[in-house]
Amino acid sequence: MAMQSSTRSGQPAVLGPRVRKPRNGRAIGDRFVGRAIRIYIPLLALLAVTLFPFYWMAITSFKSASELFDFSVSPLWVREPTLFWYQDLLTKTNFPHWAFNTALVAIVSTLISLFCSVLAGYSLARLRYRGADSIGWGIFVTYLVPPTLLFLPLTFVIRELHLFNNLWSLILTYPTFLIPFCTWMLMGFFKGIPRELEEAALVDGATRIQAMLRIAIPLAVPGILAAALFAFTLSWNEFLYSLIFLNDSLVKTIPVGVTQELIHGDEFFWGELMAAALLGSVPVAVLYSFFVDYFVAGMTAGAVKG
Amino acid sequence: MAQSSKRAKSGWSRRKFLQTAGVAVATIAFPEIIISCGPQSNPTPAAVIPKARKGASIRLLQWTSFVKQADDEFKRQAAEWGAANGVTVAIETVTGDQLQPKTAAAVEASSGPDIIQMQYAWPQLYTNSCVDLTNDVNILIGKLGKPDPVNEAYCKVDGVWRAMPYTIVPNAWSYRTDYFGQAGVSSFPATWDEFTIAAGKLKTTGKPISQTDGHAYGDSLTMWNPVLWGFGGKEVNADGKTVAINSQETRNAIKWAQGAVKAGFVVHPEWLDPDNNQAYHADRISATLNGASIYIREKVEFHHYTDVTNNAPMPSGPKGTFAMNLIFNHAVMKWSPDVETARAMLLHLMDKDQYMKWTTIAGGYNAGPFDAFHNDPVFTTDPKLKAFQDVIAPGKWPGWPAAPSKKTAQSQTQFIVADMFAKALANGGTGDIEAAVAAAETSLKAIFERP
Amino acid sequence: MGTATRADAVPVWHRRRVRIYDREAPLGYLLLVPTLVILGIFLLYPFLFGIWLSITDSELGNVGNFIGLGNYRFEFRNTDGVFYEAVVNTFLYTGVTTIFKLGLGLVMALLLNQVFPFRRFVRAALLLPYIIPTVLSYEAWRWMFDPTFSVINWLLVNTHLVHYPGPNWLGVPANAMAALMIVNVWRGTPFYAIAFLAGMQVIPLDLYEAARVDGASRWQSFTSITIPLLRPVLLVVLLLSTILTFADFQGPFVLTNGAPYNSTQLLSIWAYQWGIPGGAIGLGAAISLVLFPLLTVVVAIVLFMLRRPE
Repeated sequence: MAMQSSTRSGQPAVLGPRVRKPRNGRAIGDRFVGRAIRIYIPLLALLAVTLFPFYWMAITSFKSASELFDFSVSPLWVREPTLFWYQDLLTKTNFPHWAFNTALVAIVSTLISLFCSVLAGYSLARLRYRGADSIGWGIFVTYLVPPTLLFLPLTFVIRELHLFNNLWSLILTYPTFLIPFCTWMLMGFFKGIPRELEEAALVDGATRIQAMLRIAIPLAVPGILAAALFAFTLSWNEFLYSLIFLNDSLVKTIPVGVTQELIHGDEFFWGELMAAALLGSVPVAVLYSFFVDYFVAGMTAGAVKG
Repeated sequence: MAQSSKRAKSGWSRRKFLQTAGVAVATIAFPEIIISCGPQSNPTPAAVIPKARKGASIRLLQWTSFVKQADDEFKRQAAEWGAANGVTVAIETVTGDQLQPKTAAAVEASSGPDIIQMQYAWPQLYTNSCVDLTNDVNILIGKLGKPDPVNEAYCKVDGVWRAMPYTIVPNAWSYRTDYFGQAGVSSFPATWDEFTIAAGKLKTTGKPISQTDGHAYGDSLTMWNPVLWGFGGKEVNADGKTVAINSQETRNAIKWAQGAVKAGFVVHPEWLDPDNNQAYHADRISATLNGASIYIREKVEFHHYTDVTNNAPMPSGPKGTFAMNLIFNHAVMKWSPDVETARAMLLHLMDKDQYMKWTTIAGGYNAGPFDAFHNDPVFTTDPKLKAFQDVIAPGKWPGWPAAPSKKTAQSQTQFIVADMFAKALANGGTGDIEAAVAAAETSLKAIFERP
Repeated sequence: MGTATRADAVPVWHRRRVRIYDREAPLGYLLLVPTLVILGIFLLYPFLFGIWLSITDSELGNVGNFIGLGNYRFEFRNTDGVFYEAVVNTFLYTGVTTIFKLGLGLVMALLLNQVFPFRRFVRAALLLPYIIPTVLSYEAWRWMFDPTFSVINWLLVNTHLVHYPGPNWLGVPANAMAALMIVNVWRGTPFYAIAFLAGMQVIPLDLYEAARVDGASRWQSFTSITIPLLRPVLLVVLLLSTILTFADFQGPFVLTNGAPYNSTQLLSIWAYQWGIPGGAIGLGAAISLVLFPLLTVVVAIVLFMLRRPE
């Protein structure tokens, strides 16, 4: 514990308050105008561009079908808001099931991928042995095969395992595109952690595994959370495997279920589609905001937990 | 006698099938394939009605129809039949875009739904995965009369019915009678030349006649193939080998299109299938070529322009009247453990009374693919729907006059004909005709001359 | 761990170091086992199968014969007249979007690393494009670009930035490409931002303190501390994103599907066109693997750069 704090700075006692408000230290000498130009204006611009499509989707989801096609007055506002589409989505489709399936698959496959890639990332970034380079390279190279065709041979494997129409088909295949990604991501983070920290622990009699579990992994928490975020999001949005491997409406995931049941031939039901898009993303975004906060504070937390 | 010839035939198909399976097994070493072909290897005597096996389960995969109620009715009928015969039936509907990769995956894995909807030339693409349905189609022909020639061209591969004709989604022009009246056009043009004149007049109303020339799965094919044929152009000769796009007739068709665009016909290379529907519902255009979905949705849901909407068949070119419609058929897949049950179910769904119940609910979006359906009252109770029946007879398939094949499927899905027109119609109809024809010829040669 | 241990540790250190590295191999392999098992089952076989397909004339449902490099030859001679266009478009699409995502992602990460009101809300908001299911957001973008209903054009026209009816986003080749890129950057930037933000958290704060004491400006700290220390994360993210963008299918497929006339045709869509709807799965595999050697070299270089600082 003492050792870990000392890694942040030679003087843990002094470090405490500074870590807590590091960037505020900078802000002391700033005037509001400086901060506005440096932070608020670019931030607002980014927010506007990022959020406009969401505003549009939200507005669309409250419009009746005929108002949707009416551009004679401002399309940016809704005159007669209706909850019809949300109601329809939640009661007449299997959306709640899809949401549950999507969350289940995303969480389990993310956990599996993280378990594998934390170990693999540590091994490839930290340990020296014959073939590490080529294995790291090999893990990555498989990534270069585009999924637009990879799904065909993969269906053989799924068939042989009798996993068609089963959420396990997704839980087991999603790691194939999550692991290479997370492993490499974490390799980057493990490399960023000074080697001396672990060597010091080894000198103090810790085993290699202890050094990994107690020093390297806690220090890489921001990286692990970032990897988790990506993995979760990629699974949450995955479309192709979910389309191919699942058949029954009750086992489908959001992206596939929504498009299959809300797009009828050449007529789109925009209100419902957009309602589904929002319901499928905003709760996750809220969840994320807590996670991001946690890992932005990750270093401080990691140092304290030691 | 009939018995023995039938046996010879199924022997042939069985041998061919085992060959294929053998190759597959040798390469992939998945012996299940042989087991899955069990039911097919019992030759059924000619014109014997297939029986459902109690306890079987049948999964059918097809696209999500525009008319939700029609999908519901289809599912209801299937479930009703399932309950009566002790069969578990599951109907899965997916969008058109999704049906293709799902089918491809099933074919590659030799596993999946028992029945799959075949769109256009899929029986040609997946011939070896589709069970011979000759016996069952013959039963239907006995009851319902001659099948529609386009469905037949698609379903019958090398003389064997690989799919059962299911439906036609006719494509005709939906147009606004009020704007046409304003522009002084009394009826929808009957020829492409009149079409140009009408487009010029409609331009003055601010609501043009519009259509896609982009990569729309349905609408750009149903538009530009008939135009090409109407002026005598064709992609390939009837032999299905010799590329024939580089002709004066093709140039005439393109020149007509350029003239129409210069006059006021608006083409949208960015439009996909839903876009013209939306533009029509939003009162932005006065006419567009589409399935009956625009008219039906106006009639059933929006009620804005129902009274001022009418429908008209395809105009004629100097070489005749042509149309193209969406053609869907059902194939029973060879990996199904209950091929006979699947065939029995399809036959039941094609039963005249059942089928007409379904087309009635589809409200004119679907037409039956046999003679018996030609007097389907759904197209006469609302006279405005008659146009959708009129486009069935002049209907052809992409690649015509060549028979449907893998090659025609490739040229269709690469949008070669539509792209040729789109290139020539760029910048207000002033694109380079020669360059457009040359590019189409290169692409077509790549397809048809590929071994 | 008292000071006494550390004081007399020096000779032990050297002895142990040698032994430690000796013992790293078994552990190293052991830690790789879960990853290799999963990838071996679900990736290696499909991967090898994909390569095999590309050297055969396989069609969907028909196992083909070995034809050597025939499929590759077919493409490299540009037989279908579209392949080279697709290659150029793919590079353009990947290159331009990567530059924008990298730059904007860095800016976004730096901003999110500051203290400001509603920080939690803003972070979540900026992440939204990355979270929303792509099939749905791409459809929404398609609608926003649709000339008839383009709310973007409605805004531009009503703020008098352009004349009615505004640009035809998806109907003109250059615009359509730009539209594809805009959507990709919109969706991809948060990915960069979050990775960089996480990377910045690993940088020891005392480095900045020291730099400040030495009188370094913000810009100097950024270029001489943040960027160098962010390098491993930056390279990995760049590499991953480049590869993902290179193979991007869903967005372009939903938005243009290659139209107008193949002017936004990308390798991924072209491979799909031949392989799935066209049934020529061997040729499709070859198209999607055609740049495999090139990408492999890029990966190798980045891997080398990543290892170098040790």
